[in-house]
Amino acid sequence: MKRINLGRGQDSQNAEWLDDGRRKKKKGARAIASFLSIAVLLILLFFAAINIGSLQVGFVELLKGLFVAYDPDVATIWDLRFPRIIISMLAGAGIAVSGVLFQAVLKNPLADPGIIGISSGASFAAVLITAFAPGWYFFTPLVAFMGGVAAFLMVYCLSWKGGLNPLRIILTGVAVDALFSGLASAFHSMSGGDMSGVASIVEANITQKTWDDVATLFPYIVAGLFLAMVFIGECNLLSLEDKTARSLGVNVNATRICISLVAVLLASISTAIAGAISFLGLIVPHIGRILVGSDHKALVPFSALAGAFTFLLADTIGRTIATPYEVSAAVIMSVVGGPFFIILLRRSKKYAN
Amino acid sequence: MQIKTQKPAMEVKGLSFSYGSHKILKGASLEIEKGKVTTIMGANGCGKSTLFSLMTKNLIPMHGKIMLNGKNIQHMQLSEFARKVSIVHQYNTSSDDITVERLVGYGRTPHMKFFSGYSQEDTRLIEWAMEVTNITKYRGREVSKLSGGQRQRVWIAMAVAQNTKILFLDEPTTYLDIRYQIEILKLVQKLNREYGITIVMVLHDINQAIHYSDKIIGLADGRVMVEGDPREVISTESIQKLYGIDLGVTEIEGKKIVLTV
Repeated sequence: MKRINLGRGQDSQNAEWLDDGRRKKKKGARAIASFLSIAVLLILLFFAAINIGSLQVGFVELLKGLFVAYDPDVATIWDLRFPRIIISMLAGAGIAVSGVLFQAVLKNPLADPGIIGISSGASFAAVLITAFAPGWYFFTPLVAFMGGVAAFLMVYCLSWKGGLNPLRIILTGVAVDALFSGLASAFHSMSGGDMSGVASIVEANITQKTWDDVATLFPYIVAGLFLAMVFIGECNLLSLEDKTARSLGVNVNATRICISLVAVLLASISTAIAGAISFLGLIVPHIGRILVGSDHKALVPFSALAGAFTFLLADTIGRTIATPYEVSAAVIMSVVGGPFFIILLRRSKKYAN
Repeated sequence: MQIKTQKPAMEVKGLSFSYGSHKILKGASLEIEKGKVTTIMGANGCGKSTLFSLMTKNLIPMHGKIMLNGKNIQHMQLSEFARKVSIVHQYNTSSDDITVERLVGYGRTPHMKFFSGYSQEDTRLIEWAMEVTNITKYRGREVSKLSGGQRQRVWIAMAVAQNTKILFLDEPTTYLDIRYQIEILKLVQKLNREYGITIVMVLHDINQAIHYSDKIIGLADGRVMVEGDPREVISTESIQKLYGIDLGVTEIEGKKIVLTV
């Protein structure tokens, strides 16, 4: 290869520019590949999940049973397996995006709706309404949302000390989480542990979910994801110092409140239907940042897809790993997520002291 | 009747501010002249940071007002203010992987409408801001990979992209080596002389303040003690008033030099 000598300084500078260009291209290619892979993986997993379990049908039979003629096996799968698969995907997308939003608002890559107590606040509220006013089932999402908001306010106010210290948020969150999950478990035990509605929330059990639950969850998740997309520009600006964001005309506090409400909405609704799941909102965005970068324009949609995939994977593993018994997706996530969280804590220099 | 040559760009009238019972500013009044470089200086705790925060809408005055083109900034929306005044703060952070070009583009935020991309005008101003600050060659690079001096130019470029008539800078040379300090001050001077941007900054170094400013505002004990052309107002007495220390003042090529040793 022939090389033109431009003098050493200029040459090395040119090399740097080339480097910039090459790196940018590589990053772009990686982002596109990541989006394609996760979409394909999600579709494959979806079809695999339909067919994993005691009842199995072929792909052609499935399509036939769904669209052409009645097939008792397909009908059973449609009634029992489809709702939980769809709920897994919706809740997974909701929780992962909620994590992204919390991380932006709290400027803390370790924020997760499960760890900082939002999910347990929501689940406690859902438990209360399920136990005391089962007829108000329709309002469960709304009540759960209020529980989530209450938990978030507690975390935010209690950890505010002239500013938000990342570690203080996590510590306060852990305490709030312990409080609400303790309350929910206590309630579960005191009621004899035999109220199936309460149990399903406390244990994050989605075995008995029906199409009604899908119908309850669907509009809220869609609305929440839409709002998250509306705020991607603001999420990006929040990565700047507050003063700098203000100097660009952003009302930082109002923006924080709006985005937080969307994050609480997504986490609470998902929790009300699918139970409290920890670490999902932490792991998925973290991997997303590595693969598609921290620009929310890519991170939010990617996390939605990857969250749906991860939850569905956890649920599918959970119901096959020890048949005929089921391990809930929340347990799987905790087992995988705990060590992951520790690795993150140890690797990030920012939180070392 | 004498006609005043030009209205001031910003006018501060009887400004007071206190944290609890601790009074920081005690009725400070001053004028920022259009097209000039004004530097606020003073000892630690004299209230210059508070004054800067008040003038940039990060604090609300308890008494007094700040007028921008005849309008009280307290009654302005943040976005309206951001279209007229840009600010480079002392301490800045960004996400690790944002590129120079994207970050400079954030400067267009106050001019953009909801849900619209960059207009031609936006793109032109982003290019211009990078050109003026001499960072075009780093456009595709992550801001986190730049040196301190380069990074500071990126933050200035972001403010320049806001395309405002006034630019505030809070100690733009802290954390920088002397070579980059001078580079940044020369850049600020260029923004003022070539593009007519009114500059208001806080500087720690007395001599840099004198050398690069058309006007000095010296604060002591929450009041404006010294105000005017540094060639006229800097003296052993005024330095004593501001910093409480006797320092010799000499003159080289018509510019005052305070012997800070």
